[in-house]
This record gives sequence, structure tokens and C-alpha cells, in this order.
Amino acid sequence: MAQTINTEVTRVDARRKVTGTASYAADSIPAGMLHGALACTAVAMGRIAGIDTARAEAEPGVVAVFTHETLPDYKTVKGFYAGGPGSASFWPMEGTEIRYAGQPFAYVVAETAAAARRGADLIAVRYEEDAAQIHMDPGESFIIGAGEDSEGMTLTKGDIEAGLGAAAQTVEATYRTPFQHHNPMEMFAATAEWRGEQLTVWMPSQSVRTLRGGIAKAYGLPETSVRVLSPFVGGAFGSKAGVTPYAMLTIAAARAVGAPVRLIVTRPQMYTVATFRPETEQKFRLGADADGKLTAFEHVEIAQTSRFDDVVNPGTHMTRSMYACPNIHTEQRLARSDTNSGGFMRAPNEMQTFFGLESAMDELAWKLGMDPVELRRVNDTNRHPVKDVPFSSRSLMESYDAVSRSFGWADRGREVGSMTDGDWLVGYGCATATYPTNMSPSSARVRMQGSGHAYVELAAHDVGTGSYTIFAQIAAAQLGLPVEAVDVVMGEADLPLAPIAGGSTTAASSGSAVHIACTNIARGVAEKVAAQKDGPLAGLDPAQITLENGVLKGPGGESQSLAEALASTPMGEIEAEGQYRHPALTDKALRMTYHGGYGVAGPVTPEMAMFAFGAQMAEVHVHRYTHEIRVPRLHGAFAAGTWLNRKTAHSQLMGGMVWGLGSALHEITEVDTPRARFLNANIAEYLIPVNADVRELRVEMLEERDDYVNPLGVKGIGELGIVGTAAAVGNAVYHATGKRLTAIPMRISDIVSA
Amino acid sequence: MKPFEYLRAADRGTARRDAAMPAAAYIAGGTNLLDLMKLEVMQPERLVDINRLDMKSVETTGEGGLRIGALVTNSDLAAHETVIADYPLLSRALLAGASGQLRNKATTGGNLLQRTRCYYFYDTAMACNKRDPGSGCAAIGGATRLHAILGASAQCIATHPSDMAVAMLALDAEVEIEEESGETRRIPLREFHTLPGDTPHIETVLPQGALITAVHLPAPAGGTQIYRKVRDRASYAFALVSIAARVTLEDGKIAQVALAFGGVAHKPWRDPEVEKALIGKAPSRALFDTAADILLADARGQGDNDFKIPLVRRTLRAVLTEATGGAG
Ligand SMILES: Cc1cc2nc3c(=O)[nH]c(=O)nc-3n(C[C@H](O)[C@H](O)[C@H](O)COP(=O)(O)OP(=O)(O)OC[C@H]3O[C@@H](n4cnc5c(N)ncnc54)[C@H](O)[C@@H]3O)c2cc1C
Ligand code: SF4
Repeated sequence: MAQTINTEVTRVDARRKVTGTASYAADSIPAGMLHGALACTAVAMGRIAGIDTARAEAEPGVVAVFTHETLPDYKTVKGFYAGGPGSASFWPMEGTEIRYAGQPFAYVVAETAAAARRGADLIAVRYEEDAAQIHMDPGESFIIGAGEDSEGMTLTKGDIEAGLGAAAQTVEATYRTPFQHHNPMEMFAATAEWRGEQLTVWMPSQSVRTLRGGIAKAYGLPETSVRVLSPFVGGAFGSKAGVTPYAMLTIAAARAVGAPVRLIVTRPQMYTVATFRPETEQKFRLGADADGKLTAFEHVEIAQTSRFDDVVNPGTHMTRSMYACPNIHTEQRLARSDTNSGGFMRAPNEMQTFFGLESAMDELAWKLGMDPVELRRVNDTNRHPVKDVPFSSRSLMESYDAVSRSFGWADRGREVGSMTDGDWLVGYGCATATYPTNMSPSSARVRMQGSGHAYVELAAHDVGTGSYTIFAQIAAAQLGLPVEAVDVVMGEADLPLAPIAGGSTTAASSGSAVHIACTNIARGVAEKVAAQKDGPLAGLDPAQITLENGVLKGPGGESQSLAEALASTPMGEIEAEGQYRHPALTDKALRMTYHGGYGVAGPVTPEMAMFAFGAQMAEVHVHRYTHEIRVPRLHGAFAAGTWLNRKTAHSQLMGGMVWGLGSALHEITEVDTPRARFLNANIAEYLIPVNADVRELRVEMLEERDDYVNPLGVKGIGELGIVGTAAAVGNAVYHATGKRLTAIPMRISDIVSA
Repeated sequence: MKPFEYLRAADRGTARRDAAMPAAAYIAGGTNLLDLMKLEVMQPERLVDINRLDMKSVETTGEGGLRIGALVTNSDLAAHETVIADYPLLSRALLAGASGQLRNKATTGGNLLQRTRCYYFYDTAMACNKRDPGSGCAAIGGATRLHAILGASAQCIATHPSDMAVAMLALDAEVEIEEESGETRRIPLREFHTLPGDTPHIETVLPQGALITAVHLPAPAGGTQIYRKVRDRASYAFALVSIAARVTLEDGKIAQVALAFGGVAHKPWRDPEVEKALIGKAPSRALFDTAADILLADARGQGDNDFKIPLVRRTLRAVLTEATGGAG
């Protein structure tokens, strides 16, 4: 049997995706389906003073127009940051209140999608408008739970002022990051069909269990009465994790009109009806002795949040885990403004904070006159700087050394502005990448047939990353089958528990569950064949039979392939479940996951700190006259335990770096301050990198063994590649121009005015 | 989207007749019009599809120039042999615009008439004099990074987004039109687009119902030709600033020059005073800066777009340096 782990395996769904036969949630069209459309507010704050739906109702094809007064049975759930499954705590259309621009105020159902949209546009609405503020005021920031239990949101170790006092060099700097939107290719969509008290919902989701649990509870239905289906997801990045108003409105509307209803949210509406990455400010004070050893590390992160949720993505927990330092002070702060609630977007704790941290480290290196790579080396540590437990594995400097070699770091000019290429100023920059290794509990069911076929079933999700493929590989490797002989079924809430596809946990957590289920299959088969009269393993103690690459082995060298052994049993078929739970997972976190929440072990357990690491290097060209910033080379080296599939892992890391490049140079949700609206709400004007921006992009994947993290030794990689890219680019801009850009995206206008 | 009537015209006469009502619009590639209709920024009641009309060829004219049919796609025009050989800056400008897919659909006529990318124009929740005359201009005092620094008014500060038109302006192009009456005439491109003034919803001098049939380029003027488009994203993005330049040197002096600017005004911008100041002079950094001073004498930023003023100056320096062989 060919080895399937740590090889390049083409996605099992590749052909279906490129031929259009992969069915996404909105491709399911129940008989008699009608179409929904949202009407959203122009103003950001105030009240609905009146809605006139007469013209919409008269529009041909329109079946019904619902407002806060006319939608019976519209149910809501608690918001995520209040411990519920909802995308936000404030629910539109419960009353007249308007809390953010682009808030749904009416829901139109029509025979065609065009009629529904037209109907939505024909609704006349009067507002009582109040003043709204879209940008946070960092001066008004607060620490969550200050005065109560604020454990973790602030941290002090040692004496930061003493550490700064003792430093040979200090850096004090503030960095800013903007509002950003996920912009998955696949639009937000929800289709609801009621049959009596049985509800089916098709919806692209990162958590079908969360969705089912939330809906069932809201409607007081048993979970068995609610089916949630999300077979494929066309990108999510955090935007499809929660129970959203557009889903609950669709479910209520379908109930009200007595027919299935499908809503596809428009691209501009996608900017306001769900979450986004909040804007932030990152304040650092670093001190180092003459050798570069950190004597003081202070990081205060201020992140924007809505008026009704404390959206906290604790980035300071990541930065304070990074470098050795005796004196550490961190604060996790929020500042409110008038938007819908933000949420998590790919590397939600890390992208912004590592732009700050790694830019500040670069400033420090220049002040010290040190090679920035050496500054990281001097401060590298194999114990967690705060919790003082060892890292389960940490290949930070191996990553720097590998990327330095491939990039040619040693060839850089040592002075600012010392390299040019024609009219372009050239600079090199580097930065650290890291991502916490979090493990959720997960289950999986595996059924194997003696004919040599296996089925893997679990309520996990393939958000485009390749989960279908890696689960097939894990099962194939253990059961001794070719990858094509394993069918993976996912994206249904009725299947065995799997966690939210978030925090880069799926491969490690659900992959471990698949692994355990396969081990259990082997045990079941071993028991049966050991009890049989003949056969190579007959009469052995089943506890002594082991499974290796699909072959059962006895203590005396007896062996039989699992498939053969299975075929010899009376049923010729076996089913087993696997339950994975990291030993450090608390009961509370376990319960949380079973109730649709995000319960994890890690990244720091009582005995270990679990993180993946990497290093990125960018060559940046800044045009002497026009100040255009281009990145002809971007190299990254990463170590993240076992590589399950070198092809999909490479894609994740490369895609992450492209995303990081976008956050460095392009990505920003433009804001109209007077009216508190997001402006460039479409993908023509919300810029992300195109091919011409991504030139030489190299990913090096280092070998790393970690027996602590989980049975497979896997760390999550879906977000790792984004972290640090923006700082690497910014640091290279500084090297090229001597201009330190402290906000992303870094654009022509910033250099012209810097 | 507002429901509309759709007519496909078989010939120009029918097209003009069908379009002879204020709420009608011609549709060519549809790459701009359809987007705006979906957002209800434009709400024509009747679409007259002109794609079957015989306006798809590029011909050499008696004057030694080119006549480019209004339906020639941006892709075809960019790849046309004569254009590449004799009007290279036009080919480069076209290729710097939009994406391959869009250029395959976008037409010469439609490109000239494409509307501004002002975010506020696109968002029907915002006041916009261009979309809804008299409603105000939400962009002023708002997010103005993309807006005009020249020729703006208190009613509108939008820019014209076309690359092709900037190149054609530097090439002294003329727009051939057929009026509702059937009468054909040519309008110099320099006079075709208008400044916003008090009527930002009017963007050209094209009469109501008139059809653009072609664009004429005069006989090739030669010289060094450059199209320089400055933007944050390396491709598939509108210009923050662009410059189309045609420069001929004789005896070390600038003998002929044409300079057109994009991304700076409500229309592709050309300033004869700038060109006059350059002609007959030996290229130097000081000379280029003098040209920029003349160009930008009345430039005014709105805040977010203040950077465009130094950016135009710097880009002009880059373009003229390159065009004159490195004197700057
Ligand atoms: C994402 C995106 C990016 C883009 N980037 C760029 C860019 O970088 N640079 C750039 O220059 N452009 C860019 N464009 C704009 C693109 O070039 C225009 O949309 C295109 O040129 C319009 O041509 P069309 O034939 O599709 O016009 P249509 O959309 O069919 O029509 C546009 C207008 O012209 C009118 N019209 C069309 N033909 C005639 C005619 N013969 N006579 C009279 N009226 C007519 C129509 O009534 C309509 O009002 C971009 C567009 C998109 C969507
Ligand atoms: S600048 Fe012009 S197009 Fe933009 S909002 Fe103002 S009037 Fe409208």
C-alpha cells in the first residue's frame, strides 16, 4: 500500500469542482421554492419611522413583504460573544431600532430572484436618524470585564518600567489596521423548507452543528427535526460560522409563506449583514539590552467592537507567547462604534497583532544595529514566556534559517536605501509567523467493507481547504486502502460531532477522530479473527494484534491485511466510531463543543505550549518617482508537525501568504465617516492581490515531529501563512526607502505623504 | 433592477429610432451599464442592443489615419497590428485597463461613455448629483482618495475612469457620431467630455439619442509613446493617476509633445499651456517641474486625494524623463 500521509494527493473533489458537479448549498432547489431578498437601511443609527410596502406588494411576482411588524415566528438566538451561536447579539427586524448601516429592515418573498430584489428596492422607508460614529475612538477604550473577572485580558509579569529603564534601546510605536471583509467567492445563502414541524436548511456553513443547535433551540424543536446541510463551502474565512439574521429571516419567511424560500445575499449586503475584521490599534513598547535581549515587552491592542457585543479576539495572548522576556505587560482593550458586530476573519488574533509586533521588532533591530533575524534568534525560547511551560515543538529559527537560504538574506545591503534596480528602490524584510495549535473534541464514524471500500462520516466541513481529501488519506493510510476507495461524507449536522471549521482545528481534531475510528475498526476485526478457528491470526490474544499500514500483525510475526481479515468475518463489514479528546481539554470546553460552541484545548495546556511557526521574507520594490510598491519575491518557510497532504498544505500556506500580501498592500473596507457606511462593498473596488501582484512566491515546508499535540502530530495551517506577511513587506519598504509605514494597507498615498 | 424593454437593432436607422426616447439606452458590451442597472444607479426603461450593427471594423482612412468602429472590442483594438505599430500608447493603455475578460466584451464606444467609479455614485443610499441631480454630493467631505484634483465643482468631484480615452486624447482623436436625425459629424475628443459644473449628470456633448459610430485617429505622429498608469494593485485596478505621452525630440530639444492625464478630473485632461511650455526646450528636471507647475496651478485636493498633486508631478517627471532619454 502506497504511503498516503505526507505525500502530494490531488483533491478527491477536484474534478467535481472544476466540472461544476460539486453541489453547493444554494444549488439545492426544493420543489416549489420561492426567492427571498433583503432590504437594508441607508442610515446607521435611529429608528424606522414608517415603512410603505404597497409598491413592493404590487410588483408582479412578489408574494409577500415582511417587516418587523409582519413577520410571525421570527426567532433569534444569543450572540457568540454572549455565549450563544449568533453572529451578533443585536437582531434586526425585532423592532424599529437601527444600530448599523445596511441593517435588514424588510424581507421580500417572490416567484423569481429578480422580482424579490425589485420588490426590496421598491419599499419606501422613513427614518428618524441619529448621529452615528463608525470609527472607534481609541481614547474611549476599555478592558472587558474590568473590575470583575478580567483574567487573561491584562497580564503583568515582572516590572515593565524597570525593564524599559534597563534597556540599551527602546521602541515605542503604534500601528493601525483597517476594517476588512472576508469576501468569500460563494455568496451568503440560506434555503429553508418546512414540512410540518420538520425543517431542512441548506446553507454554506463552517459549523452545521452550531446552526442546527441554534435553530432547534430557537424554535423549540428537537434537533432531530432540523436538518442542516452544507456539502461544499466556497470559502468562508470566518464569515459563515454563526447563526445569522439572514438565515433566521429566511426560515421564518418560509414558514410564513408555506413554501421553501432561498435567499442569496447580494455582495454589497454581505458587507453589513454578517461579520468582518474590526479595525485595530496596536501599541508597543519594547526594550532590549545591547545584545538584543528583550528587557521589556508591552503590547496594548485596542480593537473596534459594536455597541452590543464585546468582540474580542485576544491577539495579545499570541504576541506575549512569542519571545523570551522577563518583563511583560499586555492589555486587551475594546472601543465601541456604530457597526454590526465584527467577528473572526482568517488569523483573527494574529494578522493585526503580528503586523504590529514584527514591525516593532524590525524597528528595534535597526536601532540596535542588528540583523533582524539575529534579533529573533537572541529572543527565541523553548519555554512559554508567560506560562513557563515548554513548547511541544518550536521550529522558529529552523524556519528563519531555511527561508534565509532560499531567499538569499545574506546578500542584502546593510544600509537603508542601499539597493536599487533601475528606477526601483529595493528592500528586504522579514517577519515571524505563528499560529496556535488548538484541538477541539471530534468524533468520526468509519465503516469498512471486506471488498475494500470504506466510508468516513462526520459533521465536519470542507471550506475549500481539502478536508475531504485529508480524511480520505488518513483512513486509507490506516486501513490499507487506496485513497479512491474511501468516501468521505461531511457537512451534515446529523453526522458525528465535529467542531466549527475555525481556528485551523479541523485537520488536527477531526483527523485524529478519523484516525481513532480506524484504530477501533482494526481492534474490532482483530477480536473477530482472533476468535476464529482458522486464519493467520486465529487464536491470538487480540490485545497483542497491532495495525500497521492496513496490515494486522501478531506478536510472532503473523500478519494479514485488514481487508482480507475483514472479508473472512461473518458480516464482512464493520463500523466503528472514534472519539478524539485532547487530554488537556476541560469538561467545560467539551460541553461547549457539544452545544455548538468553540471549545478547545490549547494553545497552552498545564504542561505544554502548542504553536506552529514560520518565517517570511519579502523583497519589495518601491518606484523612485511614483512610489508604487511591488513585491517581486515572497518566501516563507513553515513547520507545523506532520504534513498530511503536501499539496493541499502547500496551497493553504501559499494562499495564506497571498492573503497576507493583500493585507499588506490592498485590503481595506473604505468608510464614509459622516454617514457611518462601508463604501467599496464589491470586489471591483475592494482590492485583493491579482496574478500580477504575486510574482515569485515560494513555500518551504519543514519536517517537524510533535508527539504531544495529537495522535497524528498535526498542527493547523489554514491561517499560519497570513501571519507576519504584512510586517515582512513593511520592513522591506523601510529598508528600501527609510520610511516606516505604521498602517496597512501600505499604499502609494502613504509613501507620498510619509 | 428595474424591469426594462429590450430591443435588438438590425441597422443603425432602427437603432436610432428605437432609442429616440429619453429613457432609452444603447447597450454594447454591457460591462458598465449592466452593473449600474443591477444596482439601480441607472434605470433605463428600454435597452437598444447595438451589437448586431456593422461597426466592428478598423479601417485605414484617406488621411492616413484609422477609423475604429464603435463596436471594436478593447481586446481587438489593443491587438490590432497598426495600433501596435503606429499608436503604441493606445494599445498599452487598453491593456492596462480592466481584465482580459472585460476587455473582450468592452467596446470602443462604451469605453468612452463609461461612468465614474465614485463609491457614492454606486451607493443609492448616498446623495449624488450625478445619479440624482440636485440631491447633493456625499463625496465632498467623505472618502475622496479617488477623486479629482482638477476642474471639479462644488456639485461633483468625480473622475473619468477610462484609460483608452486618455490615450486617444493624446492622439488627437475625434469621435464620429450619428445624431437622432441621421446626420453624421465628428467631435474632437478634446471637446467630447465635459466638466461637472452644475450639471454633473451630463458628462459629454453627445446629444440625446445619438449613436457613436467610430473613433478617428489622425495619421500617426510618431515620437516616443508612453502610457504610464499608477495604481496600488499591479493590474485590474483603475488609475490613481495616468499619463499618456507622445514626445518627439529634435536636436536635443522637444519638437512635439502631447500629454493627457487620467484619474485627475471629470474628463481626460489635456492642457495646451503645459505642452507649449515644453516645446522648443531642452529636456531637464527643471523644465519638467515647470510643466507640472503649470498643469497643477489650479489643482485642489479634497483631503484624502491631496497626494495626487505630488503624485502627478512625480509621475510626469518619470514619464518625461523616460520619453526624453533620461534627462530628468
Ligand atoms: C471590474 C472592472 C474594472 C474595470 N477597469 C477598467 C480600467 O482599469 N480602465 C478602464 O478604462 N476601464 C475599466 N473598466 C471599464 C470598462 O472599460 C468599461 O466598462 C467598458 O469599456 C464599457 O464598454 P461596454 O461596451 O461594455 O459599454 P456598455 O456597458 O455597453 O455601455 C456603457 C455606456 O455607453 C453607452 N454606449 C455604448 N456604446 C455606445 C454607442 N456606440 N453609442 C452611444 N452610446 C453607447 C451605453 O448606453 C452606456 O451608457 C472596468 C470595468 C469593470 C467592471
Ligand atoms: S463626486 Fe460626483 S459622482 Fe461622486 S457623489 Fe459627488 S456628485 Fe456623485
